[in-house]
Amino acid sequence: MTAVTLVLLPLVVATVLLFAREALVARAIALIGAIATFVTAVLLPGSGAVQVPWIPTFGAFIAFDPGHAGGVLALVASLVMVPTVLWASLRVESNTGRFLAALFAMWSGLMGLFLARDLVLFYVFWEATLIPSLVMLGGWGGAQRRQALLKYLLYAVAGSFAMLLTIAAIKPLAGAESYLFADLLAATVSLDVLTQTWLFAGFALAFAVKLPMFPLHHWLIDFHEQNHPSGAADVAGTLYKVGGFGLFAWALPLLPEGARQAAPLLLALGAFTAVYAAVIATRANHLKRLLAYASLSHMGIVAVGLFGLHLAGLSGAMYLLAAQMVTTGGLFLISGMLHARRGSLDADSYGGIAASAPALAAVTLLVLFASIGVPGLANFPGEFLALLGAFQASTAAGVLAVLAVIAAGVYGVNLYQRLYQGPQPNAVADLRPLEVVVLAPIVAATLWLGLAPAAQLRVFEADAIVTVERIEQAQDGVDAPLVAVGEVRR
Amino acid sequence: MTGDPVTWAALAPFLALAGALVNGLFGARLREPLPGVIASVAVGAAFVLSLLAFATFGERDVGVGVRLWEFMPVAGLDLAVAFHLDQLSLLMMLIITGVGALIHVYSIGYMHGDDGYARYFSALNLFVAAMLVLVMADSYPLLFVGWEGVGVCSFLLIGFWYRQTQNPDAARKAFIVNRIGDAGFLVAMFLIYRTFGTLTISEVNAAVGGFAFGAAALTGIGVLLMVAAAGKSAQLPLHVWLPDAMAGPTPVSALIHAATMVTAGVYLIARSAPLFAASPDASAVVAWVGGITALAAAIVAFAQTDIKKILAYSTISQLGFMFVAVGVGAYWVGIFHVLTHACFKGLLFLTSGSVIHGLGGEQDVRRMGGLRRLMPVTALTALVGTLAIAGVPLLSGFFSKDAILLYTFSSTLLADHGSLVLYGALLVTAFMTAAYMGRWYLLVFEGEPRFTAEARAKVHESPRVMTVPLVVLAALSVLIGYVGLPSFAFPNLIAPWLQAATASVPFDYPPVWAEWLLIGVAVLVAAAGLALAWWVYALQSGRPVTRFGSGRIAAFARSGLGFDALYRAAVVGPSEGTAAGLALLDRDVLDRGLAASVTTAGFMARAITLLQTGYVRNYALAMLAGAVILVLVVVIAGVRA
Repeated sequence: MTAVTLVLLPLVVATVLLFAREALVARAIALIGAIATFVTAVLLPGSGAVQVPWIPTFGAFIAFDPGHAGGVLALVASLVMVPTVLWASLRVESNTGRFLAALFAMWSGLMGLFLARDLVLFYVFWEATLIPSLVMLGGWGGAQRRQALLKYLLYAVAGSFAMLLTIAAIKPLAGAESYLFADLLAATVSLDVLTQTWLFAGFALAFAVKLPMFPLHHWLIDFHEQNHPSGAADVAGTLYKVGGFGLFAWALPLLPEGARQAAPLLLALGAFTAVYAAVIATRANHLKRLLAYASLSHMGIVAVGLFGLHLAGLSGAMYLLAAQMVTTGGLFLISGMLHARRGSLDADSYGGIAASAPALAAVTLLVLFASIGVPGLANFPGEFLALLGAFQASTAAGVLAVLAVIAAGVYGVNLYQRLYQGPQPNAVADLRPLEVVVLAPIVAATLWLGLAPAAQLRVFEADAIVTVERIEQAQDGVDAPLVAVGEVRR
Repeated sequence: MTGDPVTWAALAPFLALAGALVNGLFGARLREPLPGVIASVAVGAAFVLSLLAFATFGERDVGVGVRLWEFMPVAGLDLAVAFHLDQLSLLMMLIITGVGALIHVYSIGYMHGDDGYARYFSALNLFVAAMLVLVMADSYPLLFVGWEGVGVCSFLLIGFWYRQTQNPDAARKAFIVNRIGDAGFLVAMFLIYRTFGTLTISEVNAAVGGFAFGAAALTGIGVLLMVAAAGKSAQLPLHVWLPDAMAGPTPVSALIHAATMVTAGVYLIARSAPLFAASPDASAVVAWVGGITALAAAIVAFAQTDIKKILAYSTISQLGFMFVAVGVGAYWVGIFHVLTHACFKGLLFLTSGSVIHGLGGEQDVRRMGGLRRLMPVTALTALVGTLAIAGVPLLSGFFSKDAILLYTFSSTLLADHGSLVLYGALLVTAFMTAAYMGRWYLLVFEGEPRFTAEARAKVHESPRVMTVPLVVLAALSVLIGYVGLPSFAFPNLIAPWLQAATASVPFDYPPVWAEWLLIGVAVLVAAAGLALAWWVYALQSGRPVTRFGSGRIAAFARSGLGFDALYRAAVVGPSEGTAAGLALLDRDVLDRGLAASVTTAGFMARAITLLQTGYVRNYALAMLAGAVILVLVVVIAGVRA
């Protein structure tokens, strides 16, 4: 029942917040709601699965199971949502209650889509979560929010439509008893390669938009640039980059043959995305555009980890997805804190502020270095394993994607130095006590995910084995392998 | 922890880390010199633990494993935060914590009055922690944790005085060039996993025997590891960051950019010794990169005028010697030179720091001279360091450099890869080393002062807290070489100790009279180099060189053989151009293009107009309508099935 509570509690908080006219009341509700939801999320590991019939006509269930990859992502996402809610309640001044309501609605939707073990249920949460993210962009965005919103919506709807066709077709074609993951998994074995490939294409399009991946990424840049300068909506948007999760949890295990057909192309696209975005990030001046491109580069690495179809890469891709929630999310919060100080998101209007704000500089350095994959910090285990997996599948794609590591070094240290070092006489306030409270969970999670990744990796690996084993079985039956997954377990 | 004192050494990095945390979190509230004392005690305690482990290690033939917690247990990889304590890692720990503790103490005086006093010691402690993890790691990924960790600390400390533009620039350059090497390291690990199915170093080393001698996979891994080593250890063509790194405080140059971090590449090769011993081609790459670097950097060192940059190029050159040693298969010799170099080069940097400190920030040797009378302790210890690096008999540098020359001469591993040519190159380099270091010493400490009388009044010998470490390091620079006496005639302690942890490669030793002859040649070469320096800079007061020094060749050498300009033209410029081009492409071509093609499609255009008329609520309604349609489709599909 913990899983159901985790999905419903934020939704209840969101509803209550809609009626909170006073900003102060809204803040109090949000604070209590955030803590309560986070406590629920902490209780998640080890709690039981839920499964009740929902729409019997077409075999849809209300089914949640925290014991899988989604359970880990739900926990990490909740950990990031707490400081985000806190920061938003401090920094969003107009219609605070409604903004917070949208944040909680997203929280609920994310929990649902991470924990769902029924494909229809997953899809409903996938779509439902779009609404609050649109609301935040449309209601609190910048001057060009209209275009950004439209672009976001068009990409998302186009992707969703393709996925919907796949969802509609997969159960009847496979002859599955229900939309439960377990039933689909058992039934899709019978699908031939061509059918699998077409069905996979539907998933892949939706997930590639949401990942995102070149050339379907343009909505992301505008989305971040135009969202509220506090960065709170951007964090929620970062948590909502769930394309990699959709592939990992649904598309790859259900349609491994289709994935195998598409893998070489998508592996190449992922590697290209990783390098392309990181190189562009070295040129960006606008903080949020820079973070958007950096994040896009991480998603390229997630993609190569997934499409290497190797146990290490698959597990690493999920780990990187979890870690970048913390690091990219943390950097968006920090960009909001910088904006609160100087009213600008242009890196050129900073410089030399480490002298007046040493604590802010130290936290930025930690999270930024984590983001560019410095080992011992959050992103490294995922990045390392994703690249390792990609290399086992394709030397060329692996080596190409590794180049992103160099480019990340360039934009990472450039950004830090442009903001904090140099002779400029800028002076700003150092971290305030409330900001310390906001950043503390980010710092803690950055270290936790960097130093003790084993438990989470085991959960991801247990899921990834399903995909790898199905591919191995298929290979045993058919011809020469397309990708090398031979020496997975020794 | 167990009852075995060797395992207690696993605490060493955590002591340094604790020091870093205390100073990082609370240091700003502590009064000078407390942060420096805390940091020094942390490293000193780590040294005691290392010494204890070293003393009790005994005659074991395998290393002691200490497993702390799981790290990345995926896809058959047994990756834990686990240390492998053996002869090689324990010796490196002694160097890091021993020289490190002395440099920490010295820094208490050197950094006196600096705004970032606690920040400095926090970063320096963090560096020691990362460096210890690097040498103690039992797997390549954990080694990489330390490897990038020391790179981060190097970045923080080069750019320590971040208000001047050139310091952050130097820090950035160091970090980015190192990342190129790190990318090589990553690919090396991926290839190791593909080849061996493991990333645990001892397992890889044990599995090398299953491959044919000179197998392509081994050579590929070896070359990639050398790319990583070249970045970290400033070897051609990735050496360009080290001269700039002198922007950091001088004790940092001594500890990180001379004694420890830059030797990590040599350590990496020695740690992977069985792999290199089985691949002559990869070993040849290591040795030739080292040999060419040694010679080129010595040429450049001659033309420098900055007291620290002379030493920086000297370090690059000496690291080249070490790479030749591990390249020809004399792994213990390479590490022996790491040990002696840590003492005498650490010493030389600290004396230069003392000079800079005494002269109020002056770094140009053309405005020094005659300091021996004003700074007697600094001058005497600097002389010891100079003679040691020059290879004067019975000082530490003599023994280790001589061993490198001897083993290069007798190499069988690289006999077909021009080991004799390398020997010749090193002999020339040894001559130049004695000459440029003689020049360094004479220009700084001898002759007439070339600074103003006003400055002269302020010159002072450094305080005790700085001179005591100088004296200790000078004593070590004299004595430490006796652990590695020439084995054909004397007992040698370090060779059997290190060979147990690396690999033995056969050498074609010449007869004893020939070994004595080789030593004689090396001594002559060192004497000739010092004599040249004496003739030019003491007797002629540098006159031949002032004439020569304005020439085009000297300017070329002073610029570091034009590498910076080459990089700007061939790498930095094109990269920036590509980035600008891609940014433009992404924004103005692809984004606009996609948007245009979408909006010109008639149906979509109308849909968009419709959507644009409403507010957010309408979008939400549209979404809801969409969802309803979707559910209907699903229902129909479900019924049909």
